[in-house]
Amino acid sequence: MEGSTDVNDLEGWLAESYPQSVRTAYLILGNRLDAEDAVQEAFLRAWKFRDSLSQGSSFKPWLYRVVVNTCNSKLRQEIPHRDLRSSDDGLAEVSVRDDVPTRIALSNDVRSALKDLPVDLRVVVVLRYYADLSEREIAIAIGRKQGTVKSRLHEARRRLAMHPALQSETSKLSTSNEEVTG
Amino acid sequence: MTMIDEGALSDALNEVASSFEISKDATDRILSEARTSAPPSRRFHAPDFVRQPGRGRTFLIAAVLVLVVGGITLPLFRGEGNPTKNALTVRGASPSTTIPGLAANGTSGVAGQKTLGAPTLSATNNPVTATGSGIKSAATNLSPRIESNGSVDLKVARGHIELALSKLSSLVTGDGGYVDSTQANVGSRAPGSFSYATIVLQVPQRTFATLVSQVQRVGHTSSVSTSSNDVTAQYVDLQARITALEASRQQYLLIMTRARSISDILAVQNQLNNLQSQIEQLQGQLNVLNHQTTYGSLTVMLTEAGHSSNTPHHRSGVAKAWHGAVSGFVAGFEWLVRVSGPTLFAVLMLGALWFIGRFARRAYQRRRL
Repeated sequence: MEGSTDVNDLEGWLAESYPQSVRTAYLILGNRLDAEDAVQEAFLRAWKFRDSLSQGSSFKPWLYRVVVNTCNSKLRQEIPHRDLRSSDDGLAEVSVRDDVPTRIALSNDVRSALKDLPVDLRVVVVLRYYADLSEREIAIAIGRKQGTVKSRLHEARRRLAMHPALQSETSKLSTSNEEVTG
Repeated sequence: MTMIDEGALSDALNEVASSFEISKDATDRILSEARTSAPPSRRFHAPDFVRQPGRGRTFLIAAVLVLVVGGITLPLFRGEGNPTKNALTVRGASPSTTIPGLAANGTSGVAGQKTLGAPTLSATNNPVTATGSGIKSAATNLSPRIESNGSVDLKVARGHIELALSKLSSLVTGDGGYVDSTQANVGSRAPGSFSYATIVLQVPQRTFATLVSQVQRVGHTSSVSTSSNDVTAQYVDLQARITALEASRQQYLLIMTRARSISDILAVQNQLNNLQSQIEQLQGQLNVLNHQTTYGSLTVMLTEAGHSSNTPHHRSGVAKAWHGAVSGFVAGFEWLVRVSGPTLFAVLMLGALWFIGRFARRAYQRRRL
């Protein structure tokens, strides 16, 4: 998703942003069908209210904001009130393309750890380390201050490092020691 | 502190996210739905300075909050500081509100007390006992109903108490008034023994002021105080309630004529009894009020010259200043207590507005997307 996207070109939006948006929503929601529903709804809403994108604002965080808001409302309103979808669609159960056993194990561990993160932390982690948004863009996308984003990222990384799945031997994620400042 | 490596985390997330294929149908569905949906709305958008956080928006929000809270609480503060607001009820209390003449003629049997003869309230010049038409005519009369009370301390020459009492009695009986009660204590001739008396006079309201001035001429006046209280609202309210209850009673009487079964008759009778009881109760209150507004009550305390009075001695300058300081402190504390209510209300309002504003802001931001 680039900042230079033509706001009035829906096909351009879809070609450029749809796949990454679905995968982002998938990481947030933990379910492929929910992710597709959410992104479809988000794109339609964004298209409908594209006038609200003020002049000079960046398209990418704006669109992610719509996607994140839709995911949040799904998590808040729909998902808790219905039976869990088939476990085949769940984050932990999706088959992994890669056939290297260690990478499969690693992915499963990350999925499991991500699922256990609180939603607000999960969102910033996904936007930062998957969607590759800067802290400032994440702040716009979630409607919080940049300092909040920074502290959430810090907390999320700390929790991920503490997660049992990522501390197991099968996990090959390296960890680093950082001094906590402030 | 142990932290997860950012690069490794990014790789792992990419790995997880790319674990499935994106279907092409979904984008086609979005395109077709977007084409069939309504054109982009031209909604109202708040000006940029409202949408963008900064000093302008903060100032605007603060100004709106101050205006709203000020508008709500200012009248409350004003109401607290207005002494005339509660004047009607505050002034209602009077030492002579109990009227012995209404219940029984003369005075109760206290030792040393003698009755000089108070006419009963059923006398022709007393409209209190008039019922029915009397009440209705009074209800239509919206002239102000004022009750007047007063007290006079008189000093008379030694041995002249009875004479003074006699003079005071004659002052009221000649002008449609009467002596409500008298209490006299006649002392002996021994030194240090004094006589004193208290007489309560009732005169028509129109002659009350005249009576006060006439009474002062009977002896040496040491103190005079009078007060008036407008009870028109209370009077009209009582009349209206009685009228409404009487209308209800008439309705029940009509129902009673149509009742056939014993149970119906008993039920209606029960209602009628209740109504009658209420009417009589209100009627009694109205009668009292009517009497208070028809007659002015003046209590005259007679003492013989040389007898120490109960009037407070004059304070020195320092004592007066001290008294003023204490009064000021108490008044300040009372004011503080009084304004604490509106202040608390204002703080709560501000808090509520802040929460609503915050919630609305977030909802607005969500709706924009």
